[in-house]
Amino acid sequence: MSTEARPGVIGRRQPRLDGFEKVSGRAQFTDDVVLPGMLYGKILRSPHARARIRRIDTSRAERLPGVKAIVTGEEIPGLMFSKHQPVLARGVVNYVGEEVAALAALDPVTAEDALRLIDVEYEPLPAVTTLREALRTGAPQIHEHAPGNIGPVKLQDFGDPDAAFAASDLVLSDQFRTPMQHNTLAEFHVALADFSDPQRLLMWTPTQSAPMYQKGLAQGFGLSDSQVRILYHHVGGAFTGRGRPKPHHFIAALLSRKAGRPAKIRATNDEEFIVFRGSGDTHYSFRTGVTRDGRILALEADVTFDCGAWDEWAMILWLPALYLNWVYRTEAIRYRGRFVYTNSVPKGSHHGGIFGRMSAGWMQHINRVAEELGMDPVEFHLRNAVEQGDTTMDASTFHSCGLKDCIRDAAERAGWKDKYGRLPPGRGIGIGIGAQASGSKGASNDTSAAMVKVAEDGIVTVYTGIPDMGQGSHTAMAMIAAEVLGIEPADIRIVAGDSEVTPFDWGAFSQRGTFTTGNAVKAAAEDARQQLAAVAAEALGVEPDALEFCGRKVWPAGAPERALAFTDVIGHTFNGLEGRFIMGRGFFNSPRKFGALAFSFGAQVAEVEVDRETGEIRVLKITAAHDIGRAINPLAVEGQLDGQVFSGLSQVLFEECRVEGGQVLNPSRLEYKLPRTWELPEVDYRLIETIDPYGPFGAKEVGEGPIIVTMSAVANAVADALGGMVPEIPMTPWRVLRVLRARERHGAGPIHPPGLPEGDQAA
Amino acid sequence: MNREMIRLTVNGDPYELLASPRQTLLDVIRGPLGLTGTKEGCTTGSCGVCTVHNASGEAVLSCLTPALEWDGEAVTTIEGLETSGRLDEIQQAFIDHHAVQCGFCTPGVIMSARAVLNEHPSPQMDQINDGMSGVICRCTGHIKVREAIRAVGSKLDRRV
Repeated sequence: MSTEARPGVIGRRQPRLDGFEKVSGRAQFTDDVVLPGMLYGKILRSPHARARIRRIDTSRAERLPGVKAIVTGEEIPGLMFSKHQPVLARGVVNYVGEEVAALAALDPVTAEDALRLIDVEYEPLPAVTTLREALRTGAPQIHEHAPGNIGPVKLQDFGDPDAAFAASDLVLSDQFRTPMQHNTLAEFHVALADFSDPQRLLMWTPTQSAPMYQKGLAQGFGLSDSQVRILYHHVGGAFTGRGRPKPHHFIAALLSRKAGRPAKIRATNDEEFIVFRGSGDTHYSFRTGVTRDGRILALEADVTFDCGAWDEWAMILWLPALYLNWVYRTEAIRYRGRFVYTNSVPKGSHHGGIFGRMSAGWMQHINRVAEELGMDPVEFHLRNAVEQGDTTMDASTFHSCGLKDCIRDAAERAGWKDKYGRLPPGRGIGIGIGAQASGSKGASNDTSAAMVKVAEDGIVTVYTGIPDMGQGSHTAMAMIAAEVLGIEPADIRIVAGDSEVTPFDWGAFSQRGTFTTGNAVKAAAEDARQQLAAVAAEALGVEPDALEFCGRKVWPAGAPERALAFTDVIGHTFNGLEGRFIMGRGFFNSPRKFGALAFSFGAQVAEVEVDRETGEIRVLKITAAHDIGRAINPLAVEGQLDGQVFSGLSQVLFEECRVEGGQVLNPSRLEYKLPRTWELPEVDYRLIETIDPYGPFGAKEVGEGPIIVTMSAVANAVADALGGMVPEIPMTPWRVLRVLRARERHGAGPIHPPGLPEGDQAA
Repeated sequence: MNREMIRLTVNGDPYELLASPRQTLLDVIRGPLGLTGTKEGCTTGSCGVCTVHNASGEAVLSCLTPALEWDGEAVTTIEGLETSGRLDEIQQAFIDHHAVQCGFCTPGVIMSARAVLNEHPSPQMDQINDGMSGVICRCTGHIKVREAIRAVGSKLDRRV
């Protein structure tokens, strides 16, 4: 019985199924939930980058009428947020904004007033708030366990890099820097906890992964996973910012437990920018060895991350080593990554992850290698790009790969040959290419499960743990189930958002939704279909394998005139002697032990205009070609591409948290700039649909591949307009002018960002 | 705190309520009135998520509007765009053109889009860009939002 795609639901431009709720204001988000007796929590945060806490006096706040609970770190000695970091500071604070005390009151105004009545006496300590300060010889050491402020280090060689570099005809190296960036989520961070029964924690919160939140909170409070129930409604964007619980989740729970009533904490605008972790300041050094005729022999990247006061996301440390395997064929790879502690908020990641930010520099470096060889970058990419069937040194196999087709297609549609090297002064054109994994084993076992319930009226309910943060997964899951069962997406109800109801699913991160959860939902729908087929086959007197399910009908292959209505088949099973109720179950886990089973690829060409007087950059056009496997819903895929082009050019041109002495100087959407409507380029995209043998109906990820490529294409286009590499993002007017001045003085050679001190303990 | 009685007409319905000087129009709409379609974003006027309309159908940032100043005024929120259960054409266009993703900013973006169309029934691109410059939608990058507004605008063109 084939359930592979045929003219039906897959590939249809399907408007999202939650559209009505969302455009009408009916869609409920966490902050819209108000529980009876609910309190409003607020967090008192450190104003110092590093200080000893001498004394906390909460007595005045306690006396304010309406205050129902106050907590400090001393009360909860065992409660840790991560391996080293307490949920509320004890004895010492290590960054501006660190959680020091919290309280809950009957209303937000009382809570805000009460917060001002808590007296904290600090003794400021010498702080290191930047990478440069932290690595200086004799710099104050933040943690006893980290001499020189060096955190975890990752060294990884594939092949023999020394030999490969020695065998190279040309070896070039470049430095690059990306800044601290913020996720700028539409829906601010919010947690609503009901822990009034101390054996049972209910947590309403927007999330990318209910299991991560469930396990994190359970571990913190010494509960088993099932004693924590994660509930989420619609999720207002994530962009890597909702991968695991944060201190405010624990604090809302603490306040609720202490007061015996539900407690909600919602971040204010300042808090949102000051303490919610995007990416940190990152320095890169790239080195590439090539043969004279343009074949890559060796790739190297050395990356230093400002991880903030604690290393919360150690995963970021090893990802670049993998990424160096996925774009080009090479004989050897060398990677060194290290975390450096600073007195600043612990960092996570930003939209596009480390791959996007790294690519904005790496692709400029690769471009320079090509030009140094006298090769057109497009030719260089085609010469070295990975292909279907390749197995890389990190043991990834590309079962489907349209990278070369993407490069050719984007270059041709953009008119690359006529424009590259031939644009008037002030204009630039650049190409970026890239890859992204669909899900990945390593940080988790990457499992998704799903259930399907078939009601008598033909309505099918899919139970899934994948959150829809806007990417459209719920509609995609409905389309997959509808395709398998031969019904319409409108016949599908999605039940999600409750860890107690839905089967296990790690959630929506690492680009695993369409691929991994999609496979689980497909399997669950196939299970239900098999049960229905057994009954239909008996009624029709044929073998179950010989049945077609399509258009809400079931018929023996080749005999559509004998079709039974889908609801009739359900009726036969439910009202037959057996009284069987149809429920399907499905599960997916990659047969690989580590890494991903499928990869998407893409290429984009960007064209920009630079005002050489003001330094202002305008992105004129993006021409994109992406291999994302089969597009389940091309309408939603376009939406993903639009959003990533927007966010990618935003990061290259605008986004930066400006920090001084550990204080964020631009904590608002006016000062932390995102593109406005008039700054959008024309976007022209095409999908190169390879059919992945492991993807559901051939589909792969589309959630992050495009932004990685946008960032490198735009960076290269600006570099082209300025006559060479731009060593930092965002490429703000003053940085552009600085590059132009440097070029006037020093000619066309590489310009590098200011280097870092080697420090006492250079690892 | 000095609370004062104010009267508001919201989506055609009359309300009388006590408001304090520290409450914004947004606080009142989402709180005592229970109309949670309007979302709370930055509360500093920089994201546009809280956009509602005044009596003339112009966009107003409810997070920057003190409730007491609006005594006696009429307000339309996202819940008031529907007429007898039917979506406004701009709401339907947002669904059809996939101008909605996570949906959190959507009510504010739609109210801004409706305000653009109220002022310019067949808006040019620069009028759309101007009118929408106060809202931020990280998910859609505004690309399909503009498409949806143009689609409604060009429909009006054809009617003329």
